[in-house]
Amino acid sequence: MGKSVCLKLMIGLLPYDAGHVLYRGKEVGEMDAENLRELRRNVAMVFQGGALFDSMSVFDNVTYALREHTKMSDQEMLERARECLDMVGLGYDKDILYRMPASLSGGMRKRAALARSIAIKPEVILYDEPTTGLDPANIERIGHMIRKLQKELGVTSIVVTHDMPIAWNCSNRVAMLWQRKFPYIGTPAEIQANPAPEVHEFINGIYHEDQD
Amino acid sequence: MSVRRPFEYIGEAIRAGFDWAGGISLLLGRSLIRGVQRPWGIYDIFSQIVALGIRSLPLSTLMGVFVGMALTWQFGEALMGFGAKNAVGSAAALALVRELVPTLMALTIGAKIATGVTAELGSMKVSEQIDAIASLGADPIKKLVWPRLVASTVTLPLLNIYGNVLALIGGAFIADLVFDVPAEYFYETYIDELYPMDYISGLVKSFTFGLLVGLIGCYQGFQTKFGTEAVGISTTNTVVATSVAIIVFDFVLTTIFLPVG
Repeated sequence: MGKSVCLKLMIGLLPYDAGHVLYRGKEVGEMDAENLRELRRNVAMVFQGGALFDSMSVFDNVTYALREHTKMSDQEMLERARECLDMVGLGYDKDILYRMPASLSGGMRKRAALARSIAIKPEVILYDEPTTGLDPANIERIGHMIRKLQKELGVTSIVVTHDMPIAWNCSNRVAMLWQRKFPYIGTPAEIQANPAPEVHEFINGIYHEDQD
Repeated sequence: MSVRRPFEYIGEAIRAGFDWAGGISLLLGRSLIRGVQRPWGIYDIFSQIVALGIRSLPLSTLMGVFVGMALTWQFGEALMGFGAKNAVGSAAALALVRELVPTLMALTIGAKIATGVTAELGSMKVSEQIDAIASLGADPIKKLVWPRLVASTVTLPLLNIYGNVLALIGGAFIADLVFDVPAEYFYETYIDELYPMDYISGLVKSFTFGLLVGLIGCYQGFQTKFGTEAVGISTTNTVVATSVAIIVFDFVLTTIFLPVG
């Protein structure tokens, strides 16, 4: 409970009444509209279902933030959109730019959403359960994309996931949310070696009938 | 405990009413403050006028013609009993222009616009598209609420003018065909009966209804909770809220305009 909420707090989509969320030393909850705009220029979010805008083509979706934050020409935006779609492995489809989100598969929608989030070249990308509802091949593909973007663009990724292989493969640090707190934070190896029963049971998917 | 229960319900209902009115007022305030800042989003506004207005033309046409015909028939029957069927144009004019066309147009077209807006924004809320707009650094109120608010406020008065013309044509048709009152005569008596304030009263009403319709539609859409069922609940609430608001504001505006003329 609360994983997606954590991400939304980080980007100022939800207000909070206790604790701190700091971005470059500034409290996110106290930011004015201009600072929030700047924050969202640097921190992008990939939503669980992709959250592509239904009424817009893939091109309009991918270039949305560019239109908001830059004065790029249409040609520059087109080139940037193609570059981003190539990066997420959708460049093979020449018509992809003009397709509507409804005509895309689940995996393609997630990748198009990823392309939208990297178009503006953010410093941080927040992923809300990026592999939910995908088949094993697409899960592996998304994991590969996250690692690739970390390496090629140098972005910091914060990935909320239940998918342990993704967690182990994509992360330098893992934090486990347990009863509304993060009591277990460490490298993947440290978390895997943690003797706490809740950590062991969670990462190994152990279920006890008496838990019901 | 059982004696207190009804009072608790009433108290909760009153508080919910105030919450709702407060939320609506806040949304209106924020929309006005952010909407008037550049860029004005002319393209978005124009798109919404097309989406909300042009697509309502067939229903507006039916509404205008049939209201004009029905009312003229009713008045004609009543006036014929007094041998005053020639006054049917004068009798129908005020009722149509000041009351029936703006109110019925708002109740039908307005409800259609408001529910459409709620369903669209509610679906966007459920699928996190509104959060996505904010996360990309844009302002959802400026991008989604402002264009719809302006479009519905502009559209309903325009449809009201269109509906008035059609009601006049429908009335003239019935007057000529059923009561043997020549259409030209019906037209002259109809127009003669109306003063500028009558048109202004109708237009102010439809302007207010347009604002209410857009505001309620957007607010209910933004208030949608989670799940597809929530969109249905929001849409139903929109129909109720829009209808009640139109009827109440119609009464308020009528009491304001009646003494004026």
